[in-house]
Amino acid sequence: MYRIRIHGRGGQGIKMASRILGTALFRSGYTVQDAPKYGAERRGAPIFSYVRAAHQAINERGVIQQPDLVVVADDTLLAVPAAGTLLGIGPDTVVLINSHQSADTWRHRLNLRAKVEILPAQEVVEDRAELPHVGATCAGAAACLLGVIEARKLEQAITEELGALDASVITRNCASALAAFNAMAPRRGLVREGHVIPATGYDAPQWIELPFERADISAPDIRAAANSVQVRTGLWRTMRPIIDHEQCNHCWWICSTLCPDSAIKVENDVPAIDYDHCKGCMVCVGVCPPHAISGIPEYLAQMEDSADATEPSDG
Amino acid sequence: MQPSLLTGNAAAAWGARLARVDYVPAFPITPQTEIIETIAGWVESGDLAARMVTLESEHSMITAAGAAAATGVRVFSATSSQGLLHAMEMLYTVAGWRAPFVLVNVSRGLSAPITLEADHNDIMAARDSGFLQIHCADCQEVLDSVLIAYRLAEDPDIRLPVLVNLDGFYLSFTREPVALPAAELVQTFLPPFDARNIRFSASAPQSQAVAVLGGGPYSYFRYECHLAALNGVALYQQVAEEFAGLFGRDRCAVEDYRAQDAEIVFYMVGSFATKAREAVDRLREAGQPVGLVRPRLLRPFPAAPIAALLAGKQAVIVIDQNLSVGQGGVLHTELTCSLYGRPDAPPIVCSFIGGLGGRDISAQEFYQMVAVARDAVDAGVAPPPRLLYTAEELRETRKLQAIAMAEQVETAPSPQEQGDE
Amino acid sequence: MSEGRIKRMKELPSTHLLGTGTAMCSGCGGLEAVHQIYDVLGEKTVFVNAAGCMTLLSVYPFTPFRGSWLYTAMASAPAGAQGVRDALDILIEQERLPASENLDVVVLTGDGSAYGMGMSATSGALDRNLDFLYICYDNEGYGNTGQQSSSATPHAAATSTSHNYAGYKKDLFAIWAAHDPSYVATVIGSEPLDLARKIEKAKELRGPRMILALSPCPTGWDYDPKDSVEVGKLAVKTGIWPLKEYVDGEVVHTRIPRERLPVRDYLRLQGRFAHLFQPQENTALIDAIQARVDRYWDNLV
Repeated sequence: MYRIRIHGRGGQGIKMASRILGTALFRSGYTVQDAPKYGAERRGAPIFSYVRAAHQAINERGVIQQPDLVVVADDTLLAVPAAGTLLGIGPDTVVLINSHQSADTWRHRLNLRAKVEILPAQEVVEDRAELPHVGATCAGAAACLLGVIEARKLEQAITEELGALDASVITRNCASALAAFNAMAPRRGLVREGHVIPATGYDAPQWIELPFERADISAPDIRAAANSVQVRTGLWRTMRPIIDHEQCNHCWWICSTLCPDSAIKVENDVPAIDYDHCKGCMVCVGVCPPHAISGIPEYLAQMEDSADATEPSDG
Repeated sequence: MQPSLLTGNAAAAWGARLARVDYVPAFPITPQTEIIETIAGWVESGDLAARMVTLESEHSMITAAGAAAATGVRVFSATSSQGLLHAMEMLYTVAGWRAPFVLVNVSRGLSAPITLEADHNDIMAARDSGFLQIHCADCQEVLDSVLIAYRLAEDPDIRLPVLVNLDGFYLSFTREPVALPAAELVQTFLPPFDARNIRFSASAPQSQAVAVLGGGPYSYFRYECHLAALNGVALYQQVAEEFAGLFGRDRCAVEDYRAQDAEIVFYMVGSFATKAREAVDRLREAGQPVGLVRPRLLRPFPAAPIAALLAGKQAVIVIDQNLSVGQGGVLHTELTCSLYGRPDAPPIVCSFIGGLGGRDISAQEFYQMVAVARDAVDAGVAPPPRLLYTAEELRETRKLQAIAMAEQVETAPSPQEQGDE
Repeated sequence: MSEGRIKRMKELPSTHLLGTGTAMCSGCGGLEAVHQIYDVLGEKTVFVNAAGCMTLLSVYPFTPFRGSWLYTAMASAPAGAQGVRDALDILIEQERLPASENLDVVVLTGDGSAYGMGMSATSGALDRNLDFLYICYDNEGYGNTGQQSSSATPHAAATSTSHNYAGYKKDLFAIWAAHDPSYVATVIGSEPLDLARKIEKAKELRGPRMILALSPCPTGWDYDPKDSVEVGKLAVKTGIWPLKEYVDGEVVHTRIPRERLPVRDYLRLQGRFAHLFQPQENTALIDAIQARVDRYWDNLV
């Protein structure tokens, strides 16, 4: 059985990726089980989907604990523990990362004993409408790595799954997916089918008797005030707004008032963006009267951050 | 103190008054409306220093009850049947909030078809919600149970809402002698609500009842409710003993009426259990060692005391005044599950469904159930479940059907009728 | 009316009370309104919430509130507010709680609850003259479940259950006003001064105070999050979202656009109205929408 997990963000077509791969495998003669896993609908928030494919009935269900292939459509997720991108990865797992950075960089950074492959990310994406293709692109690359899907089956699957959309959209998705498929050709078939969990020699679950605890602590109540600040929603960001303080005219703090997430503070008469929490909506860019705020892709900003790491910061 | 004649509804209202409740969110429904009317009268006259608010539905009523309890006041409310079910979502919710309060349910059969008369399907539908449940057999027990219920609800080792059930009409509108306990004694038994950190206040901000994502945390919160409810078995015993000491009445978790040396026992809840006591006395006079085992506490399910009382019995006659469509009687299902595998479990457990929609269960029916049980003991196998329903009743139903169908044709006689006369 | 302290933009708070780090979508117009409202209402509040997007403001163990919060259910937040308000009143009256510990009770619901399932509970609370604030963030659909159409969905909008919504947006302002509460107001996060003044006014009053906040929704209305404020401004400038109050039995508009922009400017920015422009323009439908807006403003004279 192939066990595949695909990680990305809401709005990037991660569910579609699982559908494309699932249908491609199905049309290639496999029994398939595919599903997305998300909570409420949240654009930009980490989500994942999964696909199981086998030549016999699939009785396994739910989250894939031991993936054969993990696809990471948005490499900024690798820094988000809650996204669970690395759950269950073993030495035989192929980890396909859509990234501008190298496999070695990621292997080193994440201390991974797995097979890391890079799907080179597209050049600077200013048109954010391109983002929904990410899922299809990654599905294309994954299809090649599996080695059991032909290009035309991939194309057929995309056409089937995107059927309700505009012909031009389908064409664009097919083109991106096939390009990615071909780009991975040297690694075709790298992903091998995985094994079942044997009934002997398994790690026994550590069951406990849940102890009674009084409702003071066992009721779903929170007594900390505004501790949501511990949730770094800045990790959702794909575009980073930057204030040019020389242009800033210290208006009545329009940016701070209109930031939906309260992520722009004003300290000592200077607005400062809280990058731990800024989601990159870019509302501030549009409302700043002297246009003192501009945006750059987050991954570029992160690369500059690591390059600047040893330099003293400004202001 | 001399007892007065009080209806079950009045007794419930007195329970709330003696408990000095702070807040009564209300909504009318037959057959409990008299409870809130009585309380409304006392609030107006100043005999009860509580605030009463009529909400626009039971779903809202239970929400308001839970929210007020979560803010730290002692809350009382009452409903029945359709109202309890209309609030069903909120029963689970407020239990999960760990909001302690007492809800009296005056048991009434469920629509459809709609009826006003008593049975236990409404209260049984709430059994999984997280509310504790106490079932009353007479009007005195109603008053006593409301007081006991507050002790349970507010105990820090429980902190869950509690349902007190009484049968519509048979108790709600029936007067019986009820002794009103002295207010000072009640104060000793039930001091004012010590809300501790169950509250909303400016200096101690709290986010209560927040969303939970993830099966691990959800399992924890839900199962802790269960563990807290289970604490109720031992705590109920303690509280009942305290109650007995102060007020002289035994309210232990499971009533044992002449069951010790019985060979066959009835097992049922609610007011019709007094009819079972009556049948026990007549059967005993006729030389049959019969008894009654009656749970007062149904949630948490007092498995150990029940098993102890039933140990070594030849047969148990379970009488359910409820029906889980497609399965059968709820008491029967839960009892047999609880007894399974116990070495001393009675070999024969009979299931009878009776009293649906307020249908009477006659003395002769009680005697006949024992005869059936005796035969079963001899045969070594329990009979299939039986609905208590007679040929005469079917004849009557047929007549009504004929009218409803606007037929002039005589209905065909039933096979039993052909055998009669 | 009392003199509010907020007269100019400069007087709006520049540090914010509502914590960051919540799970609302990037660019959420609802969150924009709510954080502005919270700045004025302050932390001596308990927010009572009905099921909707904002239920996920607080997910165990995190909360953005410096005040208090109670999640109830989709249909009954006003009843929850009733319970909390009554209980606080009882405790303070009986001196079991110092008056300094009092809180303002604030219902927070989406349009799904306010326009539909919660209508009965809201009407009941208004009828009982409950002393509370009621904030409805209106993103014109059942947002948390994927933007299915609700009775707040405007005519011709595409949602996940309608490619061209045949219904018309329910007039919730009028329904609330018919109960004669203490105060009703429409607000929008893209007009922060108007919003802040109205919340200040509401804060000073007693009884039911009802706030309806149009909440541009990038996820549900299908536009880039960066345009949330632009969409909001256009809603006001085209006259689609009138900014008004009901107080002392009268409806007063706090903004009357002198020259309204054509509604197409507002519609064109949003993917949910794309079918009005592609593959060809549905002029008749756009004109019909314009006519309804014109009729509203013409009837005001």
